[in-house]
Amino acid sequence: MRLTVNGTEHEVVAPPLTTLLHVLREELFVTSPKAGCQQGGCGACTVLVDGEPRRACLIPLAAVEGAAIATVEGLGEADELSGVQAAFHEHYAAQCGFCTSGFVMAAQALVVRGDGAIEREEVIEALSGHLCRCTGYVKIVDAVTAAVRSEVTTGSPA
Amino acid sequence: MKAVGARLPRYDGIAHVTGRTQYVDDVRVHGTLWCKALRSPHHSALILSIDTTKARALPGVHAIVTHEDVPHNVYGHLEGLGVPADEPLLAEGDVRWKGQPIAAVAAESEEIAQAAVDAIEVRFEQREPILDIRTAADPDAGEHFHQWGAIYPHFGPHNHRRVRKGDVEAAFDAADVIVEGVYRPQAIEHCPLETQVSLVVPEPSGRLTIYSCTQAMYFSMGVVAAHLEWPLNKLKFVGGTVGGGFGGKVDTATETICALLAIQARRPVKWRFTREEEFLTSSTRAPWHIEIRDAVTKDGWILGRRMLTLHDAGGYARFSPYGLTKHAFHHTGAYTIPNLRFDGFVLFTNRVPTTAMRGFGVTSVSLATELHLSRVAEQLGMNPLELRLKNANRVGDTTGNRVVMHDPSTVVVTLAAADAAGYELGEDYRAMTSERRSGDLLPEHLVAQQAPDGEHLATYRATNGGAR
Repeated sequence: MRLTVNGTEHEVVAPPLTTLLHVLREELFVTSPKAGCQQGGCGACTVLVDGEPRRACLIPLAAVEGAAIATVEGLGEADELSGVQAAFHEHYAAQCGFCTSGFVMAAQALVVRGDGAIEREEVIEALSGHLCRCTGYVKIVDAVTAAVRSEVTTGSPA
Repeated sequence: MKAVGARLPRYDGIAHVTGRTQYVDDVRVHGTLWCKALRSPHHSALILSIDTTKARALPGVHAIVTHEDVPHNVYGHLEGLGVPADEPLLAEGDVRWKGQPIAAVAAESEEIAQAAVDAIEVRFEQREPILDIRTAADPDAGEHFHQWGAIYPHFGPHNHRRVRKGDVEAAFDAADVIVEGVYRPQAIEHCPLETQVSLVVPEPSGRLTIYSCTQAMYFSMGVVAAHLEWPLNKLKFVGGTVGGGFGGKVDTATETICALLAIQARRPVKWRFTREEEFLTSSTRAPWHIEIRDAVTKDGWILGRRMLTLHDAGGYARFSPYGLTKHAFHHTGAYTIPNLRFDGFVLFTNRVPTTAMRGFGVTSVSLATELHLSRVAEQLGMNPLELRLKNANRVGDTTGNRVVMHDPSTVVVTLAAADAAGYELGEDYRAMTSERRSGDLLPEHLVAQQAPDGEHLATYRATNGGAR
C-alpha cells in the first residue's frame, strides 16, 4: 500500500488492519506519534490525514491508502520552528512532552483552517480530546490561541 | 541569581516541540522481541501448577520465565533501609493481588507474545481475599498468607509507627470540646501518558544496556542487580527521559523481567504496558483510613490530638513503611499541638501494592488534618483561617518529632492565601507574624513545648554552618 508521510512517498507491506500508528512507529520509524492508550482516548498519537487531525491508533492502514500524512517531524526544524512549535516553546506548553506531538498537530489543523479570530473557548473545544497528565492545560491553550491568532512569529527560538 | 525571574528556555523544549525527544518506546534496536506477562486473575490464590509446554512450542516464542528462572526472586524495595524482603519478582506458590505477574514471554511480536501467555496453563486454588483495611486486622478477617500476617511489623521495637509527646490524657481532660473526624483518601492511579516501559539489550561484552522510564535510575539499577545477582558494573542504565511519572515510576516494574528474558533469548526485549495494564496492575497511591480526635478549647486552642492511621500496602510492603513514616511526621500539619498520641499501621490486603505519589504519605495526612481543622472551626463557630493562624507554627515551637522551628511559614502563607482569596480577617490576625510566641499567643499549654529562646538559631547555625 502507498502513503505519503511528511511529503515522502512510502510503499508499505503490512496487513490492511494494521493501525496507522503501528505503521508509522514500527515500519517507518516516525516516532513522534505516541502509543499513549491505543484506544483513541488520549490524543497522543494524533496526526493529520489529508489535513484533518486523526487518531493514528484507531485508523487501519487500508483506510489511508494514498493519503497524505503529516506528523510533527514534518513541521519545522530546531532552528526553523513552525508557528505552532514556536508558540509551544515560548509559552512553556510542554512539560514531560509525551502528549506534545498530539497537541501540536491538533493546533496545526486549526492554523491551517485559518480562523485567526478564534476565541479561547473554541481552542479549548478543539483540544478537548487531548490529555496532558502534567496538567499544563493553561499554557497549552495560551500557546495554541497565540499560534492560531498568528501572534507568534516563526523562526529560530530565542 | 541570574535565573530567578528570567524567562529561560527549557533545556528539552525544542526537542519536545519538534517531536525529537527520544522516550524509551522510541529507541529502535534491530531484532527487538516483545514481552507480555501472565498475570493473576485472582485477588488471592494458591498456585498448584504452572505449565509452559504449549506456550514454548509456539513459533516465534524465544523465551519464557517463571520464578524458577530468577536467581534471587524475593526482594524488598527498602532492604537498604532495613525493611526485610517480602515480594517475589514472579509469583511463587501463591498470588496475593489480582494482576500479580506469574510468568513472562518474549516473542517476535506483541500478538505472538500474548498468544503464548494465553497458552500457559496455571491451576489455582482460590482463597477468600481481604480488600478492606478497616477490617483487615480483625481476628475474623481471614488468613492473610503474608509472612508477617495482617500487620507490617518492623518499626523498630514496634509493629506500628508511633509518635508520643506531652500528656494527652491531661489535654483531653482539660478540653472544652472534643472534635472527631474520619477521613478516607482513596487509591489513585498515577496515569502517566507514557505507560511503564523498558528495553533491555544484551551487549557483546556480556553487559546489559537497559533503557528505562524509571524516575530513580540508581535505585532501579540496584533492584535489577539484586534479582540477577549481578555486579552493578554489568548493567548500563539509559534514562532520564520520563513521559510522566508522578511517583509511579519509582517502583521497578518492567526492567528486571525484560533483563531475564533478554539474557535467555540473547535478543533485545521490550515491554510496554498497555493502558489497561497500567490501570489495573501498576502500583497506585495508597488508600488510607484516618481517625482524628482533637481536644480543643472554646476559644480555639488545640490542646491535644489522638490519631490513628491505617495505610493500605496492598499485597506487599514496597515503600509503604517509608510513606507511613512521612505521614506520621506531618500528622499535626503546619500547626503546633503540644500533646500527641499517633499510631499508624501498615496493613496488608489483596489489593495492588501501593507506592509513592506526589508528596508520598503527606498528601493524605494534609487532606485529613486540614479538613479536620475546618471541622473544628465549624463546631466552635470560629473563622477557619483564624483558627489556623492561632495554632500556626511559630519560631521556637517544636513539632511532634521535637524538631525546633527556625523559619516556619504557616502564618505568612495563610495570610497571603487570605489576601489572594479576598478573605476577611480580624485585625489581630491580620497583624500576626511568625515571631516567637509571647503574651496572648503563649498560653500556659504551649510554654513547655517551646525551645529555649535562641535555641532555634543555635540549631540552625549548627546544621547549616553559617550566620543568619
